[in-house]
Amino acid sequence: MHATPVTLTDRYVDAAMRTVPDDQRADLSAELRASIDDQVEARVEQGEPRPDAERAVLIELGDPDKLAAQYTDRPLWLVGPRYYLTWWRLTKLLWAIVPVCAAFGVALGQTLSGAEFGEIVGSVVSVVLSVIVHIGFWTTLVFFIVERSTHSADIGLVSRWTPDDLPEPRERGTGLSDLVASLVFLAIAAGAILWDHFVGFVYTPETGWMSFLAPSLWPWWIGGLFAVMVLEALLAISVYAKGRWDIGSATVNLFLNLTVAGGTLWLLSQQQLVNPEFFDAVIPSDSAGTVTTVVTTGFAFGVVAIAAWDSIDSFLKAARARR
Amino acid sequence: MSESEVLETHLQELRRGTVVLACLRLLEQPGYGYGLLEQLGERGFATDTNTLYPLLRRLEKQGYLTSEWNTDEARPRKFYRTSAAGSRLAAALIDDFHAIAAAIDALPEEH
Repeated sequence: MHATPVTLTDRYVDAAMRTVPDDQRADLSAELRASIDDQVEARVEQGEPRPDAERAVLIELGDPDKLAAQYTDRPLWLVGPRYYLTWWRLTKLLWAIVPVCAAFGVALGQTLSGAEFGEIVGSVVSVVLSVIVHIGFWTTLVFFIVERSTHSADIGLVSRWTPDDLPEPRERGTGLSDLVASLVFLAIAAGAILWDHFVGFVYTPETGWMSFLAPSLWPWWIGGLFAVMVLEALLAISVYAKGRWDIGSATVNLFLNLTVAGGTLWLLSQQQLVNPEFFDAVIPSDSAGTVTTVVTTGFAFGVVAIAAWDSIDSFLKAARARR
Repeated sequence: MSESEVLETHLQELRRGTVVLACLRLLEQPGYGYGLLEQLGERGFATDTNTLYPLLRRLEKQGYLTSEWNTDEARPRKFYRTSAAGSRLAAALIDDFHAIAAAIDALPEEH
């Protein structure tokens, strides 16, 4: 008995059926085979040699996986038009939030555990890169699965668009409320510093009220800080008067932030910022070293984060105002 | 994309729905894939196998066609036939096609 030789058609039908669900396979495979045979037969009747006819018919049918996808209505895309916008908005939102938080957290953790500067930069860069890649991958995977598992049923992932979804006009940060907010904030900060000096923020039963900031900062360092705060107030007034942020005012804002943040960091690194009696008074002496490091590092990161955000924000507003 | 390819794309878009209509009408008499393909070609609804076969399966799934395997001949073939719902769909499509034709006739003509 001769084994039937495996023809190109056999191989083609096998290849196409690999991706077809079991329950459709027998039916589809028989229909596909009959259709190929019909087309080959038609070509042979017109005088074409059988092998050439078979080859030509298969070429016309194209990639078997693609053909099977067309037969079974399977999408040939990662994220289709139905979910594309939701996918893209979510990915952008996560990219805007998560890497920054991860970078901040990693840098803080590494600094607290006493890592070298180069080591910190290295791990922040690698964590941020992998967070970006992970967000892209996992978000897309979820949408890939949703696209294929819902069988075009509406599962409420995409809400119907209404005019209420339109974005609000962007804050330009130049209204009267912004001016009042900046001035009130500066006044509270100045008041808090004065209160800290003359009354004190820290209370312990043994020592009574004492100040949090080092008394040795008076008068020169604190005087300098008040001068910068006056400049910030003047800047806020001038932005309000002009009605918009521009590159000039944003640059001035950047320098003021750099001055405050730089001064604070330098004082922290010299351990001159916080009242030395504060740590002695509130912390048991055996863990004082660790707590001092944690408080100092946390304070430094907070100062840098606020200064960076405020500077970037003013440049963003300046860029928006130019349009 | 060249001008003839653009023209080809527009013509395809214009003709897309008419193949469905032709299938539903032709399959009032039972027919199988390849035979239907030839009939469509002769009647001026040229289409290719990669379009026709998935279309037939989709119409069957939607209940506009019924199918039956015919194993009397040497080569077993799947015969499709328009269902009652398919006939109603065809009637609705033809009405709409006439309405579109009338609307096109009423368009301002080129000068």
